[in-house]
Amino acid sequence: MKSINLEAIISSINMGLIVVDSEENILLWNDWVVKHSEVTSSQALTAKISNVFQDAPSAAFLSALKSVLTYGLPVVLSNALHRSPLALYVPSDKHLEKTRMHLAITMTHLPDANRKSCCLIQISDSSTSIKREKMLRSHSEILKRDATTDSLTGIYNRRFFDEHYKMALGQATRQKLPLSVFMIDIDFFKEYNDYYGHPSGDKTLIKVASALKAQLSRSTDVVARYGGEEFILMLPNMSEEHAISFADKLRLAIWDIAIPHLKSRISQQVSVSIGVSTYDQRSEGAMLSLVDAADAALYKAKQNGRNQVFYAQLSEFKANKEKS
Amino acid sequence: MNTLTELHLDALTEVFNVGAGRAAASLSEIVGDEVKLSVPSIEIKKSSEADTSVIELNSARFGAVSQQFSGPFEAEAILLFTEDHALEIVRDMMGSQMSIEELAEFEQEAMCELGNIILNACLSAMADMLKISLNSSLPSYKIATTDEIFQGICNSSDQPYVLVLHIDLTIEKRHSEGHLIFLLSSMSLHKLGIQIDRFLGSI
Repeated sequence: MKSINLEAIISSINMGLIVVDSEENILLWNDWVVKHSEVTSSQALTAKISNVFQDAPSAAFLSALKSVLTYGLPVVLSNALHRSPLALYVPSDKHLEKTRMHLAITMTHLPDANRKSCCLIQISDSSTSIKREKMLRSHSEILKRDATTDSLTGIYNRRFFDEHYKMALGQATRQKLPLSVFMIDIDFFKEYNDYYGHPSGDKTLIKVASALKAQLSRSTDVVARYGGEEFILMLPNMSEEHAISFADKLRLAIWDIAIPHLKSRISQQVSVSIGVSTYDQRSEGAMLSLVDAADAALYKAKQNGRNQVFYAQLSEFKANKEKS
Repeated sequence: MNTLTELHLDALTEVFNVGAGRAAASLSEIVGDEVKLSVPSIEIKKSSEADTSVIELNSARFGAVSQQFSGPFEAEAILLFTEDHALEIVRDMMGSQMSIEELAEFEQEAMCELGNIILNACLSAMADMLKISLNSSLPSYKIATTDEIFQGICNSSDQPYVLVLHIDLTIEKRHSEGHLIFLLSSMSLHKLGIQIDRFLGSI
Protein backbone atom coordinates (compact mmCIF):
# COMPACT_ATOMS: atom_id res chain seq x y z
CA MET A 1 0.00 0.00 0.00
CA LYS A 2 3.04 2.26 0.49
CA SER A 3 3.10 3.77 -2.96
CA ILE A 4 -0.67 4.13 -3.31
CA ASN A 5 -2.26 7.50 -2.94
CA LEU A 6 -5.36 6.80 -0.85
CA GLU A 7 -6.74 10.28 -1.39
CA ALA A 8 -6.67 9.78 -5.14
CA ILE A 9 -8.56 6.52 -4.71
CA ILE A 10 -11.19 8.18 -2.52
CA SER A 11 -11.73 10.94 -5.05
CA SER A 12 -11.91 8.70 -8.09
CA ILE A 13 -13.95 5.82 -6.65
CA ASN A 14 -17.33 5.39 -8.32
CA MET A 15 -19.41 5.57 -5.17
CA GLY A 16 -20.18 8.10 -2.49
CA LEU A 17 -18.03 8.22 0.63
CA ILE A 18 -18.91 10.47 3.55
CA VAL A 19 -17.39 10.41 7.04
CA VAL A 20 -19.05 12.20 9.94
CA ASP A 21 -17.97 12.51 13.56
CA SER A 22 -20.09 11.97 16.66
CA GLU A 23 -21.47 15.52 16.41
CA GLU A 24 -22.45 14.79 12.81
CA ASN A 25 -19.81 17.20 11.44
CA ILE A 26 -18.65 16.17 7.99
CA LEU A 27 -15.01 15.02 7.85
CA LEU A 28 -14.94 13.52 4.36
CA TRP A 29 -16.99 14.34 1.26
CA ASN A 30 -15.60 12.65 -1.84
CA ASP A 31 -15.83 13.82 -5.47
CA TRP A 32 -18.67 11.43 -6.27
CA VAL A 33 -20.79 13.09 -3.56
CA VAL A 34 -19.79 16.54 -4.81
CA LYS A 35 -20.90 15.64 -8.31
CA HIS A 36 -24.30 14.26 -7.30
CA SER A 37 -25.18 16.62 -4.44
CA GLU A 38 -23.95 19.85 -6.08
CA VAL A 39 -22.39 20.73 -2.73
CA THR A 40 -18.65 21.43 -2.88
CA SER A 41 -16.37 19.79 -0.39
CA SER A 42 -15.35 23.15 1.12
CA GLN A 43 -19.05 23.85 1.79
CA ALA A 44 -19.59 20.38 3.16
CA LEU A 45 -16.57 20.25 5.43
CA THR A 46 -17.90 23.13 7.50
CA ALA A 47 -21.43 21.72 7.73
CA LYS A 48 -23.36 19.05 9.59
CA ILE A 49 -24.85 16.12 7.69
CA SER A 50 -28.38 17.06 8.72
CA ASN A 51 -28.33 20.43 6.90
CA VAL A 52 -25.70 20.11 4.16
CA PHE A 53 -28.07 18.87 1.45
CA GLN A 54 -30.58 20.89 -0.57
CA ASP A 55 -33.29 18.83 1.14
CA ALA A 56 -32.83 17.30 4.57
CA PRO A 57 -31.94 13.58 4.81
CA SER A 58 -34.83 11.25 5.65
CA ALA A 59 -35.70 10.64 9.29
CA ALA A 60 -34.78 6.97 8.92
CA PHE A 61 -31.32 7.92 7.65
CA LEU A 62 -30.69 10.27 10.57
CA SER A 63 -31.83 7.78 13.18
CA ALA A 64 -29.73 5.03 11.59
CA LEU A 65 -26.71 7.33 11.68
CA LYS A 66 -27.35 8.13 15.32
CA SER A 67 -27.54 4.46 16.12
CA VAL A 68 -24.20 3.75 14.39
CA LEU A 69 -22.54 6.58 16.32
CA THR A 70 -24.04 5.42 19.62
CA TYR A 71 -23.58 1.65 19.41
CA GLY A 72 -20.91 1.18 16.79
CA LEU A 73 -22.99 -1.47 15.01
CA PRO A 74 -23.22 -1.37 11.21
CA VAL A 75 -26.47 -0.43 9.48
CA VAL A 76 -27.72 -1.01 5.94
CA LEU A 77 -30.43 1.06 4.27
CA SER A 78 -31.87 -0.87 1.36
CA ASN A 79 -33.13 0.82 -1.74
CA ALA A 80 -36.34 -1.16 -1.54
CA LEU A 81 -37.39 0.41 1.75
CA HIS A 82 -35.85 3.86 1.43
CA ARG A 83 -35.61 4.76 -2.27
CA SER A 84 -33.76 8.05 -2.00
CA PRO A 85 -32.95 9.02 1.59
CA LEU A 86 -30.35 11.66 0.59
CA ALA A 87 -30.74 14.58 -1.81
CA LEU A 88 -28.43 13.19 -4.48
CA TYR A 89 -29.34 13.55 -8.13
CA VAL A 90 -28.97 11.59 -11.35
CA PRO A 91 -26.67 13.45 -13.75
CA SER A 92 -28.77 15.09 -16.46
CA ASP A 93 -28.80 18.02 -18.85
CA LYS A 94 -28.88 21.34 -17.06
CA HIS A 95 -32.26 22.39 -18.43
CA LEU A 96 -33.99 19.19 -17.41
CA GLU A 97 -35.65 18.79 -14.05
CA LYS A 98 -33.39 17.01 -11.59
CA THR A 99 -34.34 13.51 -10.49
CA ARG A 100 -33.41 12.01 -7.16
CA MET A 101 -31.05 9.05 -7.35
CA HIS A 102 -32.12 5.66 -6.01
CA LEU A 103 -29.60 4.67 -3.37
CA ALA A 104 -28.35 1.79 -1.29
CA ILE A 105 -26.44 2.88 1.80
CA THR A 106 -24.11 1.11 4.22
CA MET A 107 -23.00 2.82 7.43
CA THR A 108 -20.16 1.48 9.51
CA HIS A 109 -18.43 2.62 12.64
CA LEU A 110 -14.87 3.87 12.14
CA PRO A 111 -12.40 3.71 14.97
CA ASP A 112 -10.85 7.14 15.32
CA ALA A 113 -7.39 8.08 16.59
CA ASN A 114 -8.87 10.56 19.06
CA ARG A 115 -11.11 7.80 20.41
CA LYS A 116 -14.08 9.72 19.11
CA SER A 117 -16.83 7.88 17.31
CA CYS A 118 -16.99 8.30 13.54
CA CYS A 119 -19.26 6.89 10.88
CA LEU A 120 -18.33 5.94 7.33
CA ILE A 121 -21.28 6.28 4.95
CA GLN A 122 -20.96 4.34 1.69
CA ILE A 123 -23.46 5.28 -0.96
CA SER A 124 -24.12 3.41 -4.18
CA ASP A 125 -26.37 4.18 -7.10
CA SER A 126 -29.11 1.56 -7.52
CA SER A 127 -30.53 2.81 -10.84
CA THR A 128 -28.69 0.28 -13.01
CA SER A 129 -29.76 -2.67 -10.91
CA ILE A 130 -33.32 -1.34 -10.85
CA LYS A 131 -33.31 -1.19 -14.64
CA ARG A 132 -31.89 -4.71 -14.86
CA GLU A 133 -34.42 -5.95 -12.37
CA LYS A 134 -37.33 -4.43 -14.27
CA MET A 135 -36.09 -5.98 -17.49
CA LEU A 136 -35.71 -9.42 -15.92
CA ARG A 137 -39.16 -9.17 -14.38
CA SER A 138 -40.83 -8.23 -17.61
CA HIS A 139 -38.99 -11.07 -19.36
CA SER A 140 -40.12 -13.51 -16.72
CA GLU A 141 -43.72 -12.31 -17.06
CA ILE A 142 -43.57 -12.84 -20.82
CA LEU A 143 -42.12 -16.33 -20.31
CA LYS A 144 -44.79 -17.19 -17.76
CA ARG A 145 -47.49 -16.06 -20.17
CA ASP A 146 -45.94 -17.99 -23.05
CA ALA A 147 -45.69 -21.14 -20.98
CA THR A 148 -49.45 -21.17 -20.36
CA THR A 149 -50.67 -20.00 -23.77
CA ASP A 150 -51.42 -22.00 -26.88
CA SER A 151 -49.30 -20.30 -29.51
CA LEU A 152 -51.70 -20.90 -32.42
CA THR A 153 -55.02 -19.83 -30.91
CA GLY A 154 -53.85 -17.52 -28.12
CA ILE A 155 -56.11 -19.19 -25.55
CA TYR A 156 -54.71 -21.13 -22.58
CA ASN A 157 -52.94 -24.42 -23.14
CA ARG A 158 -53.40 -27.78 -21.48
CA ARG A 159 -50.69 -27.10 -18.91
CA PHE A 160 -52.59 -24.06 -17.65
CA PHE A 161 -55.86 -25.96 -17.60
CA ASP A 162 -54.42 -28.87 -15.63
CA GLU A 163 -52.99 -26.55 -12.99
CA HIS A 164 -56.11 -24.46 -12.62
CA TYR A 165 -58.47 -27.39 -12.77
CA LYS A 166 -57.03 -28.77 -9.52
CA MET A 167 -57.42 -25.41 -7.82
CA ALA A 168 -60.97 -24.95 -9.13
CA LEU A 169 -61.97 -28.41 -7.85
CA GLY A 170 -60.53 -27.62 -4.44
CA GLN A 171 -62.46 -24.36 -4.36
CA ALA A 172 -65.70 -26.03 -5.49
CA THR A 173 -65.49 -28.61 -2.71
CA ARG A 174 -64.59 -26.05 -0.07
CA GLN A 175 -67.27 -23.57 -1.06
CA LYS A 176 -69.82 -26.32 -1.79
CA LEU A 177 -70.43 -24.95 -5.28
CA PRO A 178 -70.89 -26.85 -8.56
CA LEU A 179 -68.23 -26.98 -11.29
CA SER A 180 -68.97 -27.81 -14.93
CA VAL A 181 -66.49 -29.12 -17.49
CA PHE A 182 -67.05 -29.14 -21.27
CA MET A 183 -65.05 -31.18 -23.79
CA ILE A 184 -65.41 -29.91 -27.32
CA ASP A 185 -64.27 -31.58 -30.53
CA ILE A 186 -64.52 -30.24 -34.11
CA ASP A 187 -66.46 -32.75 -36.21
CA PHE A 188 -64.53 -34.44 -39.07
CA PHE A 189 -61.56 -32.12 -38.60
CA LYS A 190 -59.14 -34.63 -40.12
CA GLU A 191 -61.21 -34.61 -43.30
CA TYR A 192 -61.25 -30.80 -43.18
CA ASN A 193 -57.45 -30.65 -42.98
CA ASP A 194 -57.04 -33.23 -45.77
CA TYR A 195 -59.35 -31.32 -48.08
CA TYR A 196 -58.63 -27.65 -47.28
CA GLY A 197 -54.99 -28.00 -46.16
CA HIS A 198 -53.34 -27.27 -42.82
CA PRO A 199 -53.17 -23.46 -43.13
CA SER A 200 -56.98 -23.40 -43.46
CA GLY A 201 -57.25 -25.89 -40.63
CA ASP A 202 -55.22 -23.55 -38.43
CA LYS A 203 -57.46 -20.62 -39.33
CA THR A 204 -60.51 -22.65 -38.38
CA LEU A 205 -58.97 -23.60 -35.04
CA ILE A 206 -58.35 -19.92 -34.34
CA LYS A 207 -61.95 -18.99 -35.27
CA VAL A 208 -63.40 -21.76 -33.10
CA ALA A 209 -61.16 -20.82 -30.17
CA SER A 210 -62.16 -17.16 -30.29
CA ALA A 211 -65.86 -18.00 -30.72
CA LEU A 212 -65.68 -20.20 -27.61
CA LYS A 213 -63.80 -17.54 -25.70
CA ALA A 214 -66.40 -14.93 -26.64
CA GLN A 215 -69.05 -16.98 -24.82
CA LEU A 216 -67.28 -16.65 -21.48
CA SER A 217 -68.06 -13.72 -19.24
CA ARG A 218 -66.57 -14.38 -15.79
CA SER A 219 -62.88 -14.08 -14.97
CA THR A 220 -62.92 -17.52 -13.34
CA ASP A 221 -64.10 -19.24 -16.56
CA VAL A 222 -61.34 -20.99 -18.46
CA VAL A 223 -61.15 -22.16 -22.07
CA ALA A 224 -58.06 -24.04 -23.21
CA ARG A 225 -56.87 -25.97 -26.23
CA TYR A 226 -56.70 -29.52 -24.92
CA GLY A 227 -55.37 -31.38 -27.93
CA GLY A 228 -55.27 -31.05 -31.74
CA GLU A 229 -58.89 -30.08 -32.45
CA GLU A 230 -60.07 -30.55 -28.89
CA PHE A 231 -60.99 -27.76 -26.52
CA ILE A 232 -61.88 -27.84 -22.86
CA LEU A 233 -63.89 -25.38 -20.77
CA MET A 234 -64.18 -25.13 -17.03
CA LEU A 235 -66.91 -23.00 -15.46
CA PRO A 236 -67.01 -22.74 -11.70
CA ASN A 237 -70.37 -22.28 -9.99
CA MET A 238 -72.40 -23.53 -12.97
CA SER A 239 -75.10 -26.10 -12.19
CA GLU A 240 -76.11 -29.08 -14.33
CA GLU A 241 -79.21 -27.38 -15.82
CA HIS A 242 -77.25 -24.28 -16.81
CA ALA A 243 -74.38 -26.39 -18.13
CA ILE A 244 -76.62 -28.23 -20.59
CA SER A 245 -78.15 -25.07 -22.03
CA PHE A 246 -74.75 -23.32 -22.04
CA ALA A 247 -73.24 -26.24 -23.98
CA ASP A 248 -75.89 -25.84 -26.62
CA LYS A 249 -75.13 -22.14 -26.78
CA LEU A 250 -71.48 -23.04 -27.42
CA ARG A 251 -72.45 -25.51 -30.12
CA LEU A 252 -74.63 -22.88 -31.86
CA ALA A 253 -71.91 -20.23 -31.56
CA ILE A 254 -69.62 -22.44 -33.66
CA TRP A 255 -72.40 -23.39 -36.06
CA ASP A 256 -73.26 -19.71 -36.58
CA ILE A 257 -69.75 -18.86 -37.82
CA ALA A 258 -70.79 -21.00 -40.81
CA ILE A 259 -67.31 -22.10 -41.90
CA PRO A 260 -67.82 -24.23 -45.06
CA HIS A 261 -66.86 -27.90 -44.61
CA LEU A 262 -67.72 -29.89 -47.74
CA LYS A 263 -66.13 -33.06 -46.40
CA SER A 264 -68.25 -33.16 -43.22
CA ARG A 265 -70.44 -36.22 -43.35
CA ILE A 266 -73.28 -34.57 -41.47
CA SER A 267 -73.58 -31.10 -43.01
CA GLN A 268 -71.89 -28.56 -45.28
CA GLN A 269 -70.24 -26.54 -42.49
CA VAL A 270 -68.03 -26.84 -39.43
CA SER A 271 -69.82 -28.19 -36.35
CA VAL A 272 -68.74 -29.38 -32.92
CA SER A 273 -69.66 -32.20 -30.55
CA ILE A 274 -69.71 -31.41 -26.85
CA GLY A 275 -69.49 -33.61 -23.76
CA VAL A 276 -70.51 -32.07 -20.44
CA SER A 277 -70.36 -33.13 -16.83
CA THR A 278 -70.94 -31.28 -13.58
CA TYR A 279 -69.48 -31.80 -10.14
CA ASP A 280 -71.73 -30.87 -7.23
CA GLN A 281 -72.50 -31.89 -3.66
CA ARG A 282 -74.37 -35.00 -4.74
CA SER A 283 -71.44 -36.38 -6.70
CA GLU A 284 -69.12 -36.45 -3.73
CA GLY A 285 -65.93 -38.44 -4.02
CA ALA A 286 -66.22 -38.58 -7.79
CA MET A 287 -64.57 -35.28 -8.49
CA LEU A 288 -61.31 -36.61 -9.88
CA SER A 289 -63.16 -38.26 -12.76
CA LEU A 290 -64.95 -35.08 -13.85
CA VAL A 291 -62.74 -34.59 -16.92
CA ASP A 292 -63.04 -38.31 -17.73
CA ALA A 293 -66.82 -38.06 -17.48
CA ALA A 294 -66.89 -35.07 -19.85
CA ASP A 295 -64.63 -37.03 -22.22
CA ALA A 296 -66.95 -40.05 -22.11
CA ALA A 297 -69.91 -37.72 -22.76
CA LEU A 298 -68.09 -36.31 -25.79
CA TYR A 299 -67.65 -39.85 -27.11
CA LYS A 300 -71.40 -40.41 -26.68
CA ALA A 301 -72.21 -37.15 -28.48
CA LYS A 302 -70.09 -38.32 -31.43
CA GLN A 303 -71.65 -41.79 -31.40
CA ASN A 304 -75.10 -40.24 -31.42
CA GLY A 305 -74.37 -38.43 -34.70
CA ARG A 306 -72.19 -35.39 -33.83
CA ASN A 307 -73.12 -31.66 -33.86
CA GLN A 308 -74.77 -32.16 -30.49
CA VAL A 309 -74.38 -32.04 -26.71
CA PHE A 310 -74.32 -35.02 -24.39
CA TYR A 311 -74.49 -34.74 -20.62
CA ALA A 312 -72.92 -37.44 -18.45
CA GLN A 313 -74.01 -37.68 -14.82
CA LEU A 314 -70.82 -37.82 -12.80
CA SER A 315 -72.11 -40.39 -10.30
CA GLU A 316 -73.43 -42.69 -13.04
CA PHE A 317 -70.23 -42.39 -14.98
CA LYS A 318 -68.32 -43.44 -11.92
CA ALA A 319 -70.65 -46.38 -11.23
CA ASN A 320 -70.33 -47.59 -14.83
CA LYS A 321 -66.62 -47.27 -14.73
CA GLU A 322 -66.38 -49.33 -11.55
CA LYS A 323 -68.61 -52.03 -13.06
CA SER A 324 -66.48 -52.46 -16.16
CA MET B 1 -23.39 -28.40 31.20
CA ASN B 2 -25.58 -25.39 30.93
CA THR B 3 -23.61 -22.33 31.92
CA LEU B 4 -26.57 -20.02 32.20
CA THR B 5 -29.08 -20.25 35.05
CA GLU B 6 -32.80 -19.46 35.07
CA LEU B 7 -31.89 -16.08 36.48
CA HIS B 8 -29.58 -15.41 33.56
CA LEU B 9 -32.27 -16.38 31.12
CA ASP B 10 -34.82 -14.09 32.79
CA ALA B 11 -32.38 -11.21 32.51
CA LEU B 12 -31.74 -12.02 28.85
CA THR B 13 -35.46 -12.26 28.09
CA GLU B 14 -35.84 -8.79 29.55
CA VAL B 15 -32.90 -7.49 27.51
CA PHE B 16 -34.26 -8.93 24.30
CA ASN B 17 -37.73 -7.57 24.94
CA VAL B 18 -36.21 -4.11 25.26
CA GLY B 19 -34.35 -4.74 21.99
CA ALA B 20 -37.51 -5.98 20.28
CA GLY B 21 -39.29 -2.82 21.39
CA ARG B 22 -36.58 -0.67 19.81
CA ALA B 23 -36.60 -2.69 16.61
CA ALA B 24 -40.38 -2.36 16.46
CA ALA B 25 -40.08 1.42 16.73
CA SER B 26 -37.60 1.58 13.82
CA LEU B 27 -39.65 -0.81 11.71
CA SER B 28 -42.86 1.14 12.37
CA GLU B 29 -41.10 4.26 11.15
CA ILE B 30 -40.04 2.56 7.92
CA VAL B 31 -43.26 0.66 7.23
CA GLY B 32 -45.46 3.58 8.27
CA ASP B 33 -47.66 1.24 10.24
CA GLU B 34 -47.51 -0.03 13.79
CA VAL B 35 -45.18 -3.00 14.06
CA LYS B 36 -45.15 -5.05 17.24
CA LEU B 37 -42.33 -7.38 18.24
CA SER B 38 -42.25 -9.54 21.31
CA VAL B 39 -40.01 -12.26 22.65
CA PRO B 40 -42.23 -14.86 24.28
CA SER B 41 -39.51 -17.42 24.95
CA ILE B 42 -35.79 -17.95 25.09
CA GLU B 43 -33.86 -21.17 25.59
CA ILE B 44 -30.34 -22.54 25.61
CA LYS B 45 -29.49 -25.70 23.70
CA LYS B 46 -26.32 -27.65 23.21
CA SER B 47 -25.24 -27.13 19.60
CA SER B 48 -25.00 -30.87 19.14
CA GLU B 49 -28.65 -31.18 20.18
CA ALA B 50 -29.81 -28.29 18.05
CA ASP B 51 -32.06 -29.64 15.35
CA THR B 52 -35.31 -28.86 13.66
CA SER B 53 -37.27 -29.46 16.86
CA VAL B 54 -35.62 -26.37 18.34
CA ILE B 55 -37.41 -24.06 16.02
CA GLU B 56 -40.74 -25.88 16.10
CA LEU B 57 -41.56 -24.78 12.60
CA ASN B 58 -42.12 -26.88 9.58
CA SER B 59 -41.03 -24.38 7.01
CA ALA B 60 -38.65 -26.09 4.62
CA ARG B 61 -36.63 -23.01 3.79
CA PHE B 62 -35.70 -19.83 5.52
CA GLY B 63 -34.28 -16.50 4.64
CA ALA B 64 -31.40 -16.11 7.07
CA VAL B 65 -29.70 -12.86 8.00
CA SER B 66 -26.53 -13.26 10.02
CA GLN B 67 -24.01 -10.98 11.73
CA GLN B 68 -20.82 -11.82 13.60
CA PHE B 69 -20.62 -9.93 16.85
CA SER B 70 -17.44 -9.46 18.86
CA GLY B 71 -16.49 -7.76 22.11
CA PRO B 72 -16.44 -9.18 25.66
CA PHE B 73 -17.97 -12.27 24.06
CA GLU B 74 -18.12 -13.50 20.49
CA ALA B 75 -21.38 -14.52 18.91
CA GLU B 76 -22.93 -15.33 15.60
CA ALA B 77 -26.50 -14.12 15.44
CA ILE B 78 -28.81 -15.54 12.79
CA LEU B 79 -32.30 -14.35 12.24
CA LEU B 80 -34.54 -16.75 10.39
CA PHE B 81 -37.53 -15.52 8.44
CA THR B 82 -39.91 -18.36 7.78
CA GLU B 83 -41.05 -18.63 4.22
CA ASP B 84 -44.78 -18.27 4.71
CA HIS B 85 -45.04 -15.60 7.37
CA ALA B 86 -42.25 -13.10 7.59
CA LEU B 87 -41.78 -13.01 3.83
CA GLU B 88 -45.32 -11.78 3.51
CA ILE B 89 -44.29 -8.75 5.46
CA VAL B 90 -41.47 -7.87 3.11
CA ARG B 91 -43.69 -8.53 0.13
CA ASP B 92 -46.33 -6.39 1.70
CA MET B 93 -43.91 -3.55 2.10
CA MET B 94 -42.59 -4.02 -1.42
CA GLY B 95 -45.87 -4.90 -3.05
CA SER B 96 -44.45 -7.86 -4.95
CA GLN B 97 -45.55 -11.45 -5.40
CA MET B 98 -42.49 -13.61 -5.44
CA SER B 99 -41.46 -16.84 -3.82
CA ILE B 100 -38.39 -17.10 -1.64
CA GLU B 101 -36.19 -18.49 -4.44
CA GLU B 102 -37.19 -15.68 -6.73
CA LEU B 103 -36.56 -12.99 -4.17
CA ALA B 104 -34.71 -10.52 -6.27
CA GLU B 105 -31.81 -8.35 -5.29
CA PHE B 106 -34.12 -5.66 -3.93
CA GLU B 107 -36.12 -7.85 -1.66
CA GLN B 108 -32.93 -9.54 -0.51
CA GLU B 109 -31.53 -6.17 0.39
CA ALA B 110 -34.73 -5.34 2.23
CA MET B 111 -34.59 -8.65 4.13
CA CYS B 112 -31.01 -7.85 5.05
CA GLU B 113 -32.06 -4.48 6.38
CA LEU B 114 -34.97 -5.94 8.31
CA GLY B 115 -32.69 -8.52 9.90
CA ASN B 116 -30.05 -5.89 10.58
CA ILE B 117 -32.58 -3.70 12.43
CA ILE B 118 -33.74 -6.53 14.67
CA LEU B 119 -30.28 -7.99 15.33
CA ASN B 120 -28.75 -4.59 16.07
CA ALA B 121 -31.63 -3.63 18.34
CA CYS B 122 -31.34 -6.84 20.37
CA LEU B 123 -27.56 -6.67 20.64
CA SER B 124 -27.47 -2.96 21.41
CA ALA B 125 -30.06 -3.46 24.15
CA MET B 126 -27.75 -6.11 25.53
CA ALA B 127 -24.76 -3.77 25.27
CA ASP B 128 -26.71 -1.03 27.06
CA MET B 129 -27.88 -3.18 29.91
CA LEU B 130 -24.59 -4.97 30.42
CA LYS B 131 -22.64 -1.73 29.85
CA ILE B 132 -20.36 -3.34 27.29
CA SER B 133 -19.60 -2.40 23.70
CA LEU B 134 -19.89 -4.74 20.75
CA ASN B 135 -18.60 -4.71 17.19
CA SER B 136 -20.27 -6.41 14.32
CA SER B 137 -19.74 -7.47 10.74
CA LEU B 138 -22.13 -6.26 8.06
CA PRO B 139 -25.24 -8.39 7.76
CA SER B 140 -25.30 -11.09 5.12
CA TYR B 141 -28.33 -12.79 3.66
CA LYS B 142 -28.78 -16.31 2.37
CA ILE B 143 -31.51 -18.81 1.70
CA ALA B 144 -31.07 -22.05 3.59
CA THR B 145 -32.96 -25.13 4.63
CA THR B 146 -33.35 -25.94 8.33
CA ASP B 147 -30.87 -28.77 7.97
CA GLU B 148 -28.24 -26.56 6.41
CA ILE B 149 -28.60 -24.03 9.20
CA PHE B 150 -28.31 -26.61 11.95
CA GLN B 151 -25.51 -28.47 10.26
CA GLY B 152 -23.51 -25.26 10.35
CA ILE B 153 -24.23 -24.88 14.05
CA CYS B 154 -23.60 -28.52 15.01
CA ASN B 155 -20.30 -28.59 13.15
CA SER B 156 -18.84 -25.61 14.94
CA SER B 157 -17.09 -27.25 17.87
CA ASP B 158 -15.94 -23.87 19.12
CA GLN B 159 -19.56 -22.83 19.65
CA PRO B 160 -20.97 -25.52 21.90
CA TYR B 161 -24.17 -23.71 22.86
CA VAL B 162 -26.92 -22.01 21.00
CA LEU B 163 -29.34 -19.47 22.37
CA VAL B 164 -32.74 -19.65 20.69
CA LEU B 165 -35.17 -16.75 20.83
CA HIS B 166 -38.66 -16.88 19.43
CA ILE B 167 -39.87 -13.51 18.27
CA ASP B 168 -43.42 -12.70 17.22
CA LEU B 169 -43.90 -9.91 14.74
CA THR B 170 -47.21 -8.24 13.94
CA ILE B 171 -48.05 -5.39 11.61
CA GLU B 172 -51.25 -3.90 13.01
CA LYS B 173 -53.24 -2.62 10.07
CA ARG B 174 -52.27 -5.32 7.60
CA HIS B 175 -52.95 -8.12 10.05
CA SER B 176 -49.76 -9.79 8.94
CA GLU B 177 -47.96 -11.86 11.50
CA GLY B 178 -44.50 -13.29 11.39
CA HIS B 179 -42.42 -15.56 13.47
CA LEU B 180 -38.72 -14.97 13.66
CA ILE B 181 -36.08 -17.08 15.25
CA PHE B 182 -32.92 -15.61 16.60
CA LEU B 183 -30.05 -18.04 17.04
CA LEU B 184 -27.11 -16.81 19.02
CA SER B 185 -24.40 -19.39 19.05
CA SER B 186 -21.61 -18.44 21.31
CA MET B 187 -18.37 -20.11 22.20
CA SER B 188 -18.26 -17.71 25.07
CA LEU B 189 -21.61 -18.28 26.66
CA HIS B 190 -19.65 -18.53 29.85
CA LYS B 191 -18.33 -15.02 29.28
CA LEU B 192 -21.86 -13.86 28.60
CA GLY B 193 -22.87 -15.44 31.93
CA ILE B 194 -20.13 -13.45 33.68
CA GLN B 195 -21.38 -10.24 32.09
CA ILE B 196 -24.93 -10.98 33.21
CA ASP B 197 -23.74 -11.78 36.72
CA ARG B 198 -21.96 -8.45 36.79
CA PHE B 199 -25.19 -6.76 35.71
CA LEU B 200 -27.31 -8.69 38.21
CA GLY B 201 -24.84 -7.86 40.97
CA SER B 202 -25.06 -4.18 40.17
CA ILE B 203 -28.81 -3.86 40.58
